[in-house]
Amino acid sequence: MNKQNRGQIRIIEAFLAVLVIFSSFAVSSNLTITQNVRKSGDLASVGLQALMTLDSDGSLGRFIDYRNWTAVRDSLDTVLPVSVCFNLTVYNDQMRQINEVNISNGALGGQEVASVEYTCASQSAMFRCYMIYLQLAVVE
Amino acid sequence: MRKSEKKLKANSSGQLLIIAALAIAVLISATTIYVYELGEETNSPDTKSIGDFILALKQSIRNTMISSLANASKGGEKAVLAANLDKLSQVVRSVHQFGICQLDYTVLNDSEYNSGVWLSWNASGFGVSSAYANFTLKVNGMGTNLTVGYSLNTTTTVTISGYYTQLADNEKMVNLTCRVYGDGENALAKNISLSYENLGSWIPIDSSNNLSIVDYGNGTYTISFTVRVPSDRVQVSADVYDARGIFVRANTTCYNS
Repeated sequence: MNKQNRGQIRIIEAFLAVLVIFSSFAVSSNLTITQNVRKSGDLASVGLQALMTLDSDGSLGRFIDYRNWTAVRDSLDTVLPVSVCFNLTVYNDQMRQINEVNISNGALGGQEVASVEYTCASQSAMFRCYMIYLQLAVVE
Repeated sequence: MRKSEKKLKANSSGQLLIIAALAIAVLISATTIYVYELGEETNSPDTKSIGDFILALKQSIRNTMISSLANASKGGEKAVLAANLDKLSQVVRSVHQFGICQLDYTVLNDSEYNSGVWLSWNASGFGVSSAYANFTLKVNGMGTNLTVGYSLNTTTTVTISGYYTQLADNEKMVNLTCRVYGDGENALAKNISLSYENLGSWIPIDSSNNLSIVDYGNGTYTISFTVRVPSDRVQVSADVYDARGIFVRANTTCYNS
C-alpha cells in the first residue's frame, strides 16, 4: 500500500467514525420525538385538571347554566398555562351543541392537538348535565 | 523489529478510531435510552390519565348529589336523587375516551335515609340535610379493564344554641350561636332567616327586632335580636341555605340566662 492510498483510507476511516457517532445522535433524536408524542397525553391531563378546578365549586356548571360563554373562556384562559391554546364545545344531555359562540383563545391549526371529554353536572337545584369537549395545543 | 511494530500501529490506528467511535456511540445511545426509560417510569401518563378521568367523574357525581339534595331540601321529591343519577349515568355512557364507561348506583334506604336522602330538621339544637349513595364505575376499553366502587355522602349540618336576657316588660334580648358544616367541615351560609314562636304562631325576625348577625368567616355566626313574648322561654327557628344551595332548618329553645 503506497502512502497516497494510506491517506485516502485514513479519510474513509475518519468519515466512518464520524458517521457512527452521528448515527447515534439520529437514533437519540428519534427517541425524543416519541417522547414528545407521549407529552400530548400530559396536555390532555392538564386540560382535565383545569376543567376539574373550575368545576370543584360548581362555577363551570353555573356558567354553562347561564350560557355565560365569556366567563367560561376567561376562566379557562386563567387556569390553563399561557402557552396552551384551546377550543371548547358544550353539548347538553341530548348531545346537542349548546354553545352558539366559539369558546376559544386562538386557532389550533397546524399543531398537535390533545382532546379531553368531560362530564359536567351543575350544582343548581334544577339539575342539568353537560358533555364538554376540550381541544388543546401548545403554541410554539 | 521496532520499525515493523511502528508500521503495525500506524496501519491499525484507523480501526482503533472506528472502535472508539463505536464505543462513544454506544455510550450516547445507552445514556439516551436510560434517560428516556427513567422519564417514562416517573410519568406513566396512561395510569395518570385514567386516574384523572375517574377523579373527574367523581367530581360530576358529587355535583349531582349536591344538586339533588338542594332540590329535595327545598321541598322537591326525594326520588330526584335517583332520577338525576340516571341522567348522569346516561351521559357517562357517551364518554369514550378510555373505552365503554358504565356508572351503576344504589341509593341508601335505612332507618334514616329514604331514597338516599335524609332530612332531619325537628331535633332540638341541630338540623341535617344529607344524601348518600353507593357507586360502581366500570371502564372497559383496549388495554383498560377497570372497576371502581365507592360511596359518596353529601351532608350539610347546622347547629344552633342560645339564651335570652330579660329586658323591660315582656321584652327579651336573645343571643344565638349558629354553626354551619358542609361534609363535616366548617362551611359558609349563603342566607340565614330566623323566626320565633309567639302564642302558637311563627313570626319572622327582621330589622324591627334589632337583628344583628356577626359572620366570623369560618361557618360560625353570632345572632342577637329582641322579641316580645309572654312565656319564660323563646323558641327560635333558623332556616339556613349553605353556599351550595342546600337548605337546613334547625330549632332551639332559649331560656333566661
